[in-house]
Amino acid sequence: MVTLGHYLTVSGLLFTIGFAGVLLRRNIIIIFMSLELMLNAANLSLVAFSRFRLDGAGIPNYNAQVFVFFIITVAAAEVAVGLAIIVALYRARQTTHVEDISNLKF
Amino acid sequence: MTFPWFILLAPLASAALITLFTQRSKLVSSCISVAAVLASFVGSIVVFVRPNIRVPELTWIDLRPAFYVPLGLVLDDLSKTMLLLVTGIGALIHIYSLGYMKDDAGKSRYFAALSFFMFSMIGIVLSNNFVMMFIFWELVGVSSYLLIGHWFERNAAAEAAKKAFLTNRIGDFGFMLGILMVWTATGSVGFQEMAQQLSRITSHPGYLTIATLLIFGGAVGKSAQFPLHVWLPDAMEGPTPISALIHAATMVAAGVYMLVRVGFLIQAAPQALSIIAWIGTITAVMAALVATQQSDIKRILAYSTLSQLGYMVMAVGLASGEAAMFHLFTHAFFKALLFLGAGSIIVMLHHEQDIWKMGGLAGRLGITFLTFMAGTLALIGFPPFSGFFSKDAILSLAYEKNPAIFWLALFTAFLTAFYMLRLVVVVFFGKPRSDRARAGREAPWVMITPLILLAIAACGSGFGFVARLFLHLPGGKETGWLVPGMAFAATLSGMILAILLYRRRESDPINLALFRKAFYFDAIYGFFIAATQGILARLSAFIDRWILDAGVICGTSSATWGFGSLLRLLQVGNLQAYSFLLGLGIVGLIYFTLFR
Amino acid sequence: MILPFIVFCPIAAALAILLGAPARRTALWAAGVTLAATAFALYGFETGRPGFQFVSSLPISSDWRINFTLGLDGLSLMMVLLTAVVTFAAIWFTGVIADREHAFYACLLFIAGGALGAFASIDLFFLYAFHELALIPTFFLIGIWGTGNRQAAAWKITIYLATGSFILLLGLIMLYRSVPEAARSFDFRNLQQSASMILPQAQGHIFLVLLIGFGILVSLFPFHTWAPEAYASAPAPAAMLHAGVLKKFGLYGLLRLALPLLPQGAQQWSTLLIVLLLGNILYVGLVTIAQKRLDWMLGYSSVMHMGYIFLGIASGTLLGTSGAAILIFAHGISIALLFGIAGEIRQRTGTLLLTDLGGFGKVMPRAALAFGLAAFASIGLPGFANFSGEVMVLFGTFRNGANLNHFTIFQVATVLALWGVVISAVYMLRAYRSVFMGALRESWASVIDLRPSLRLPIGLLVALSLWFGFFPQSFVRIVSPVFQSYFIQK
Repeated sequence: MVTLGHYLTVSGLLFTIGFAGVLLRRNIIIIFMSLELMLNAANLSLVAFSRFRLDGAGIPNYNAQVFVFFIITVAAAEVAVGLAIIVALYRARQTTHVEDISNLKF
Repeated sequence: MTFPWFILLAPLASAALITLFTQRSKLVSSCISVAAVLASFVGSIVVFVRPNIRVPELTWIDLRPAFYVPLGLVLDDLSKTMLLLVTGIGALIHIYSLGYMKDDAGKSRYFAALSFFMFSMIGIVLSNNFVMMFIFWELVGVSSYLLIGHWFERNAAAEAAKKAFLTNRIGDFGFMLGILMVWTATGSVGFQEMAQQLSRITSHPGYLTIATLLIFGGAVGKSAQFPLHVWLPDAMEGPTPISALIHAATMVAAGVYMLVRVGFLIQAAPQALSIIAWIGTITAVMAALVATQQSDIKRILAYSTLSQLGYMVMAVGLASGEAAMFHLFTHAFFKALLFLGAGSIIVMLHHEQDIWKMGGLAGRLGITFLTFMAGTLALIGFPPFSGFFSKDAILSLAYEKNPAIFWLALFTAFLTAFYMLRLVVVVFFGKPRSDRARAGREAPWVMITPLILLAIAACGSGFGFVARLFLHLPGGKETGWLVPGMAFAATLSGMILAILLYRRRESDPINLALFRKAFYFDAIYGFFIAATQGILARLSAFIDRWILDAGVICGTSSATWGFGSLLRLLQVGNLQAYSFLLGLGIVGLIYFTLFR
Repeated sequence: MILPFIVFCPIAAALAILLGAPARRTALWAAGVTLAATAFALYGFETGRPGFQFVSSLPISSDWRINFTLGLDGLSLMMVLLTAVVTFAAIWFTGVIADREHAFYACLLFIAGGALGAFASIDLFFLYAFHELALIPTFFLIGIWGTGNRQAAAWKITIYLATGSFILLLGLIMLYRSVPEAARSFDFRNLQQSASMILPQAQGHIFLVLLIGFGILVSLFPFHTWAPEAYASAPAPAAMLHAGVLKKFGLYGLLRLALPLLPQGAQQWSTLLIVLLLGNILYVGLVTIAQKRLDWMLGYSSVMHMGYIFLGIASGTLLGTSGAAILIFAHGISIALLFGIAGEIRQRTGTLLLTDLGGFGKVMPRAALAFGLAAFASIGLPGFANFSGEVMVLFGTFRNGANLNHFTIFQVATVLALWGVVISAVYMLRAYRSVFMGALRESWASVIDLRPSLRLPIGLLVALSLWFGFFPQSFVRIVSPVFQSYFIQK
């Protein structure tokens, strides 16, 4: 039986991989991809909860699945804006290595 | 009736007018001032001959039942006599000043300050309560400051003025404390009410003694008793008429007057009385010793004043306000006379004050010499001049009550005769010792007339029938001729010794540094003040500047800077580091909210 | 309507000046008109009537119960009068300002408006707000137009006083919240009614916070180190306004809020207050003696004299508290005059080092007279208002708990405080002697005296001080009804 726990574990692993990617990868675009991975991990856990938490009559709580749609939409918008920023950043700094962009250092 | 208020206010109006409006015109200023004091004098005479005048009171502060200070005038025998004395001698000195200060650049300022002094002194005499008296007490102190420092461009005068005020302030510290203590016990500051409530304080003798001694402290300052006597000799930096008025006849006598006014309080505290008597005696002896070695004519007279004030305080301490007032009365005349005479010599010799540069002036300044002689004989107590009677009263009192004090007082009488005759012999007899002395001529009539008037008073004011018009004379004590006889013997021996030692001398044959330097009091006090106040002040300033300010305050700001610099290290500018910290924070948040 | 006029006249004038009106003329007119309006209010004030007069109220927020309410009782009337007079004098004493003249006058007027508003407010919120208004212009005045170590001094005073204000704000909030929800209000009149509901321990805590908060604003020992450097570096009119008026705000606050609303708190902390104020009088007095510059000496002396006013506040008697009120007024006037003349001297000589000066009595007789009057006033010479206040404070404190068999702390405090009059005479006379007496140096022989027009503000200040020195009852009559209710148990 594939239980809720399995889904959550996968979701957690995905989130961790994504978070590690954000922290450890040098290329901005890869960091962005990892960010998307984190978002999708959240989506997975939301759908899992929706699927496995049934109310008295055996009907899943669809609020979570609707919430997933919101997240997908927001992620899409974020990607659009974010990539635009990255392109502008590349044009200005000629680099995609995130360590090279540290103007806010004291 | 309100006209007694004008006696008090006329000089104030004069001072205000001169300060605000007529400073440029020396003639107008001096006329205003003289007119004011004459008006006060006439008023005093009118008040003197009229019995029982009721004067309306003003309110200074009214917070009854806790605190009530009226501004009221007391017109009893004591104050009426003192008023006559103060305004009379004041008037004479105003006239004398017209001559003495004729060519002075600050003449308007002088007369304004002089009028202000008259206002303050009359205020002390007429006050009917302690706080009002304290007000005028301090005002008299500031008038003295202004007048001693009249020639303020001279460093010596500036220092002397400051010293006088500060020493008086120390006395006033004690005075105010004494007033506070008496007020707390009796519930009032008015002299009459205080006398009525006296039993509330006499039931606590220790408290009463301390309060009395503190009040006496004010007199110690104002009347220059030991140990606050150091300001009076330096006060001679002021113009001589001021030395005559303030530092001989009136202001310094204010301390004695105050003690007599509250005699009912003082005489209820026997321990305080004996301390007062001894301080008076010590002052009298010490000052007389110092006077024997001074060579500035004004300083000799200053120490002489100290000594005579000592006699008055001694009399207060021997529980006889009458004897003290009698001596105050006669002393005012002959001491003012002596100072004015000295002033006439000084000015006619173009501001020469060293007696060893004078000599042979008896012929050159004849009237001055005669009046000065009259004053001297009065001062040393040569019968039948006035000083003989008043000093005799005190000596008899001492003989009765305290033999030790009596012998010391007798010794002082001997010394008094000695140093005064020393002065007279050196200044008036022999050959002139300098060109200035040779050129000396008699002073103008505006200065001579007051001398003559005062000389008449010095001769006559001692006699019973004259003095009784003004004072309550001390009660009959019958020691017969013993005390007067011993006094006369002391006086005579002092005179003879001085004449023998000092005739035909070019310089002083005796040289006692201890006396000449006035027992080194100035040096001792200077050292003491530097050692305590000086060091404490510098220490406090150091603590304040470097520990409280630089240390704590700037330290706090430096600590804030430092902490900020430390925190700054977190701003690495690296996106991933920030994300890591973000993640850590979130983990911590989840841990603390869900699992704690 | 007269109170909003008095409060906003200087503020409106300041705005007008910033927008381009002729600086000195507008400022002088505004100050003069404010002074005239205050005199009018003084004339129309009924002494002996309890409560506030000339009340005008504008509701601001009913949720927070804040209204813009102005009103005067005896105490605030005299504070408003003090502010108006010192502002007038300070503006008149302003000489030629080399650059940014408009900003200078605007700053002075903002301080005046802030002070007036603070004293006239009955609502705690606006009391605090107006005081903050007055704080920032001080920063600019010292930092831009000051002398010496002006930037450091400006920062120090602003941050230190802001900290004090912050602690004060805490205290005010604690006060507001100490009363049950329904009775809460920022309006002082309501607070008076509900004060009995505050618990004694709460009173103690609130009083301590208010004491420290107000104390910092008034340079209570040991929170006084901001004052000397700030006053020494400030331009003379700023020093006049700050030392003469703004500093008194803290004392006003204690008299207005802490004493009537928190009597048990006041009793709990009276010993601490007495120890601290003796630090002001004796310790700071000694520090003043050691000063070598006139401006530092005056700065420290103003700190020292606050000790006497605190003594009146700590005295716990009607007599002492009324004396404190007179002393606030008197000290404001005398220190304003002292700083004004010191500023004039500095302008002419560039230095206020006591050893460099000397003999100025000859070349500046008017200044010597004015400074002499102010100096003797400040050391408590009778005839000036300062003495009247000091006498009342000393008598009031000494009387508290007086027992002929032993001395309590109040009597000891009075004795020690009285020694302060000797200390103040020492430093003030020494300063006067060093500056105005003695021989005149060659380099100062061409110094000119005060300009004749200054006779008006000097005369006004001296006349007020003399009036209340000769007739203190006129002041006591106005002020003591306010304090009567503080001590009904005594």
